[in-house]
Amino acid sequence: MDPYKVLDISPNATDDEVKSAYRELARKYHPDNYINNPLADLAQEKMQQVNEAYDAIMKERKSGGSANSGGYQSGGYQGGYQSGGYGYAGQSAGYRGANASIYNQVRNSINVGNIGMAEELLNRVSDRDAEWHFLRSNICYRKGWFDEASQEINLACGMEPNNFEYQRMKQVLNQSAQYGGYRPMQNNDAMDCCTQLLCLNCLCDCMGSGC
Amino acid sequence: MFGFIRPLRSELKVREWERFQSVYCGLCHSIRQRYGLLQTTLLSYDCTYLALVLDAADSQAECEACRRRCIVHPIRRRSCAQETAGIRHAAAVSVILNWHKLQDTIDDETGWKRLGARVLRLFLRRGYKKARQDNAEFDRVVTEQLQSLNRIQREQTASLDIPADTFANILRAAVPEERTDDGRILGEMFYHTGRWIYLIDACDDLAEDFTTGSYNPVRLRYRLTEPDLTPLRETLRHTLLQSLAASYHAYILLNTKRDGGIIENILCQGLPEVTRQVLNGTLEANGGKNRHGSI
Repeated sequence: MDPYKVLDISPNATDDEVKSAYRELARKYHPDNYINNPLADLAQEKMQQVNEAYDAIMKERKSGGSANSGGYQSGGYQGGYQSGGYGYAGQSAGYRGANASIYNQVRNSINVGNIGMAEELLNRVSDRDAEWHFLRSNICYRKGWFDEASQEINLACGMEPNNFEYQRMKQVLNQSAQYGGYRPMQNNDAMDCCTQLLCLNCLCDCMGSGC
Repeated sequence: MFGFIRPLRSELKVREWERFQSVYCGLCHSIRQRYGLLQTTLLSYDCTYLALVLDAADSQAECEACRRRCIVHPIRRRSCAQETAGIRHAAAVSVILNWHKLQDTIDDETGWKRLGARVLRLFLRRGYKKARQDNAEFDRVVTEQLQSLNRIQREQTASLDIPADTFANILRAAVPEERTDDGRILGEMFYHTGRWIYLIDACDDLAEDFTTGSYNPVRLRYRLTEPDLTPLRETLRHTLLQSLAASYHAYILLNTKRDGGIIENILCQGLPEVTRQVLNGTLEANGGKNRHGSI
C-alpha cells in the first residue's frame, strides 16, 4: 500500500508535514483510545499500518538525501497494544480468598472478549467486594454502559481507595469523553497533548523555582 | 426515529451540504418508489445519516447525482443522489422504524392523537409490509427490543444504560449484518449512536414526562423531584459524550471512500451541539427536533 495514501498526504509533502500527519493519526489510533474496546484489534492494525507507512517514508527520504531529514526516530507508539486490548497487569491479579478462581475466570473472559461469559460468571458471586465492582465496571465499559461503569468503579474505589488498578480505571472513565482523537466542537488544530505537557512542565518549573 | 442527528451547517463546505441534501432527496425518492408517497412524510435526517455512512463504507457504490423534481419541489429540479445499496437499505429501515413508532403512539396516547395514528397506520400498512419483506431480520429485532423496552418501562427501571441498551440494539441491527470488519465497526458505531439518541431524547422529554407521568430514565436514575437538568448538566454531558466518542472511535477505523467531512462534522460538531442545546434547554429555540433542518 502506498505509504503516502495511508498518511493521507501528497508525496511532495515536507518532512514536517509528514510528521504532523503521522502524529495526528497516531493520536487517533492510540491504544489509550481503545482500552477494553471490542474493536481494539482493528485499531492495532491501523496503528501498525500508520507506523509502517511513516517508517517507509522516512527511510526512503533519508536514503534519497532529502534536505531536512534530521531528527527522525522510528514510530514511537509501536508495541503499545496488549493482546487483549486492556492493560491488565498479567492474566491474574494474585487473588486469594473464596472468589479467587471465579475472578480469574472473569478476567480471562474479559481479556478474550467473551463478555457474555464474564457477566454470567460474575453474577454467580453473591458477596460483592471491591474487585467485584471493578470487574463489573470493566464489563459495563466494554458494552458501552458508561453510566453504570462509573457507578461501579466509584463503589470499588470507595471500598479500596488505594488500589492502583481501580484508580486507573476511574481515570480512563473520566477521560473517555474527550480521549485522543475525539474532540467535540473543536478544530483539529487545537493544542496537542505534547504542547500541554510542555506547558505543564514549564509551570512546574516556575513553581519550583519560586519556592 | 427522533430527528436529533444533524450536521452543523455553518461548518460544512457548500459541496458537502449539497451532497447531504442530495442523499436526503435520494432517500426520499427511494422510499416513495418502493413504499409509497405517504411514507416520505415521516422521513428524518437520522436515516439520511445511516445512508451516508453505509455508502461511505461501500467501495462499490456509485454515488452519482441527478436532478429531479418532486412534490415538495415541483418547479426547480433538485440534486438527488441515485439509489445505492446504502440508500435502499436505509429506506427500508426508515419505513420499519416509523411503523413501530406509530404503533408506540397508539399504545401510549389517548384521544385524537391515538385516532390520528390509527388512521395513518391504515394507509402505511402496505408499505410497511413490503419493507418487512425486504428486511425481515431488522423488523424482528425492532419488535423484540421494543417489547423489552416496554417491560423496562412497566417495571420503572431506574437506570440509564438498561433502557438505552435495548434501543441501541435496534440501531446496531440497522446496519447490514455482515461478519466482516466493516460490519463490526458499523455495528459498534450505531450502537453508541443509539445510546446517545435514546438518552438525549430522555433529557429532552423530561419536562413533558413530568407532566404526563410517563417513564423517564433520567428522572428515575437521579430521583429528580422537579424537571430541572441544571445540577446534572455536567454528569449527563459526560455520559452522552462518552457514547459519541465511542461512536467516533469506531468510525475512524472504517475505510471510508467518501463523505468523511460530513460524517466527522455530524459526529464531532453536530451531535455535541445538539447535546449542548438539549442540556441547556435551547433546542426548541434553535428549531427543535424533528425539523428537517440543520443546526
